[in-house]
Amino acid sequence: MAATGQNESDFFRRAPGPLAWLVLAPLAAWLFLFVIVPTGMLVVLSFAEQRGLGTIHYTWTLANYERAFQWTWLKVLGISVWFAVLTTVICMVIGYPVAYFIGRSSPRMRNILITLVMIPFWTSFLIRTYAWITILSKEGLVNAFLIAAKIVPEPVALMYTPFASVLGLVYNYLPFMILPIYTSVERLDGAMIEAAHDLGAGPLRAFSKVIIPLTSPGIAAGVLLVFVPSIAMFAITNLMGGGSQPTIGDVIYKQFTSGRNQPFGAALGTILLAIFVLALWLTKKYRKA
Amino acid sequence: MSAVASPFLPRLPRLFRRMHGGKLQRWLFGGWTILVFAFLYIPIGLLVLFSFNESRLNIQWEGFSLRWYGELMHNRTLLVAFQNSMIVAVATTILATLLGTAGAWMLYRYRFPFRQSIGLLIFIPMVIPEVLMGASLLAQFVHLMHLPLGHFTLIIAHTTFSFPFVLVGVQARLEGLDPALEEAAMDLGAAPMRAFREVVLPYLLPAIIAGALMAFTLSLDEYIVSVFTSGAASQTLPLKVYGMARVGLNPQLNALSAIFIFATVLLVLGSQLVTRKKTP
Amino acid sequence: MKSKLLALAALVLAGCGKPAAPVTQEPSKPSAEATAPPVVAAAEPKRLSIFCWSEYIPQSVIDAFSDETGIKVSVENYASNEEMLAKLMAGGGSYDLIQPSEYVVEGLIGENALQPINHAQIPNLSNIAPQFVNMPFDPGNKFTVPYMAGTVGIVVNTELVTDPITGFSDVFQEKYKGNIVVLDDAREIVTWAFKTLGIPPNEMTDENMALAKPVLEKWLPLIKVYDSDSPKTALLNGDVAIGVVWGGEGAILLNTDKKFQWVLPKEGTHLFVDSLAIPKGAKHPNNAMQFMNYILRPEVSKAISDEFPYLNPNREARALLSEEARQNSASFPPEEVVGRMILFKDIGGQASKVDEMVTSLKAQ
Repeated sequence: MAATGQNESDFFRRAPGPLAWLVLAPLAAWLFLFVIVPTGMLVVLSFAEQRGLGTIHYTWTLANYERAFQWTWLKVLGISVWFAVLTTVICMVIGYPVAYFIGRSSPRMRNILITLVMIPFWTSFLIRTYAWITILSKEGLVNAFLIAAKIVPEPVALMYTPFASVLGLVYNYLPFMILPIYTSVERLDGAMIEAAHDLGAGPLRAFSKVIIPLTSPGIAAGVLLVFVPSIAMFAITNLMGGGSQPTIGDVIYKQFTSGRNQPFGAALGTILLAIFVLALWLTKKYRKA
Repeated sequence: MSAVASPFLPRLPRLFRRMHGGKLQRWLFGGWTILVFAFLYIPIGLLVLFSFNESRLNIQWEGFSLRWYGELMHNRTLLVAFQNSMIVAVATTILATLLGTAGAWMLYRYRFPFRQSIGLLIFIPMVIPEVLMGASLLAQFVHLMHLPLGHFTLIIAHTTFSFPFVLVGVQARLEGLDPALEEAAMDLGAAPMRAFREVVLPYLLPAIIAGALMAFTLSLDEYIVSVFTSGAASQTLPLKVYGMARVGLNPQLNALSAIFIFATVLLVLGSQLVTRKKTP
Repeated sequence: MKSKLLALAALVLAGCGKPAAPVTQEPSKPSAEATAPPVVAAAEPKRLSIFCWSEYIPQSVIDAFSDETGIKVSVENYASNEEMLAKLMAGGGSYDLIQPSEYVVEGLIGENALQPINHAQIPNLSNIAPQFVNMPFDPGNKFTVPYMAGTVGIVVNTELVTDPITGFSDVFQEKYKGNIVVLDDAREIVTWAFKTLGIPPNEMTDENMALAKPVLEKWLPLIKVYDSDSPKTALLNGDVAIGVVWGGEGAILLNTDKKFQWVLPKEGTHLFVDSLAIPKGAKHPNNAMQFMNYILRPEVSKAISDEFPYLNPNREARALLSEEARQNSASFPPEEVVGRMILFKDIGGQASKVDEMVTSLKAQ
């Protein structure tokens, strides 16, 4: 992954001086206090039992993990990952040209446009999701148009389908793909691109052979920032997809509510974390090789 | 713009032949961008429209009305919640941007123990399901650190899950940084701190701004983590809003969002116009 | 705006750190009769911290209470009983009032997590209709005061569905596939299956769950939407035609459009009762009881009913409601039917199994 990859800067990487340690210390403290320790507590919780209304009995049982490795949950996890993959790919395809256009615009337009990409998401999540429901429902705008234009005889069920789920996911995660790609595009040297064109490369080839590779760190960052959080996202799929397809985020959330089994939720979460950290570590090793 | 005709477009009309390469791209991509912006803004337009809807349930249009705007001005609960959201979001943005940028730079520039592990650990807040983060942070705040729940704990929680977004964005931009640039600055006599401030930081600025925008957005809409880490005086907007669906989302919310959207768009356009006046 | 910010900052700083002056009150053990705990000699600070369902206590009611008594009320919300429990058990906030449902009250009393209430301080309790007092989950109302009740029933869009619907078995038919919305509550769904099989809803044993499984296997693929927060949305938008939803949702639908019809399932349904209770360790129990007494006033209770058309257990308040509101069959089922309804009991660890069964069936 593009994250902390090794590159030629390794040669320049040096030991921290006193000023650097001054910056490093609060960072490390933050990580320790608010990431490592809570995660540790989570792992401990995953070996516990829940009794009654919510009291946790701390033992060391593997029951939660045994339960987690059943087919049901693996299937739910698989479906969540699949939705995440779909969302990421669609965001990439839709978002890249936008990021490119904004990145290559004049500095003033750039700032305006990139902020305008984000502004819709400063509305309340629920009301903009309900706006989508108004658009997609059987008595909504899209169907009204389709029927008026005589494209379909009857309203099409667009809401509460996997299509609606993915649309909602793509809608909410698109800025997180556009922004990182934009930062890579923005630093592209205009002269380089002109040269590629002048040397006879058709627009397609200049793009695929020159521009996309140059912006790959941004693309990789965008992929990370969309794929990773969307795996555990469930509010969107519940609201837009009708909740008939359970996702791993929903399952884990339910363990803290109606499922009354917080340790099991913690176990599922720990497994998710472990899979992810492992995948990241493997990718880094692969990149080094 | 070079007038050399591309061998790939011999049969296209003359207009296109002259527009090949950069300019064709510009028009295509520009058109695409307009479509995507339409996609992004149509629901927003709709919800702004409904803020003027007489009816409370946003199903039918029942006539133009400003009543929700009026009621909003007297709705102390919503306004206070909105204020809390803003306070937390702004503080989170500042902290997350600092942490994320500093973190990315540290990981890029320096060798220190556990560097590889830290590079992996920072992803945990991104992967971890929100309910787990909320519950574990609650336990951390209440049982280990004995902190009262309030704005402070909210900001810490929000910062924790948003700084990785800033970090990843800045890291991506750092990958394109020519290391020789920084070395050259230092060879010319600048201290590392100055080299950073005058060479690296301006280079990183778009990524830092992008990261800040992302952190702000993430904090503004956060619900689950906020449930666990907020106190009575620090109820944010999502906390108040989430249960509203039961009786139908109050169009006052639409009004609030509409006002905020207009204010920010005006701010963005206005700030850019001001900059324009400054350039000679 | 600035003064609001300063006031807010002041509130935050005041609220942080030091708790309010401790009130000396012995937490008395619940005794056989509903004896009153000793009345506090020292006056409580004029504060009240409420932890309640979102949008369940109208802000206007809270504001009016504050204005009348001078007590500053802070409100925290949750969207489900379990969310409330999670935060309560984690010990994060210090709340004076919570709003648990009946099965949660049972559990909380069992865990000794509630403070007894002093009926002498809540004379308006007599306004509650007799069938809602002394309920099985809190005999003698030692700890709780009923707030609102309700049922689960069936809503039918008569424009889209012309055949008569009388119960669960009518709803879950092949011809309504993709046209149904239900609550996203595993226990509810299994209970409905139990009802059609004649199994008592509170006997959530493994054997009974196994009996319900084939029924659920038939039902779940027919359901289009699972939604506990706002099932009326799917019905109002015409995306589904039939719903098994809360009474309050049904009432709102009936008030919105005459095409919606409310049906109480012939197989029977259950009654839920939400109450106000004081958790142990509450810092302002007397203010809490004052609030309880306040919302039991007929005109206040009526105001609540106007906003949230659930089953109002307050007999005096119901008399004040408009004729139309009283006729809303989703809010007020016939008296004899209410008398026959079951109350949910706490099913403890079985909740986890129920949840798993429904989730695995959904995932197929």
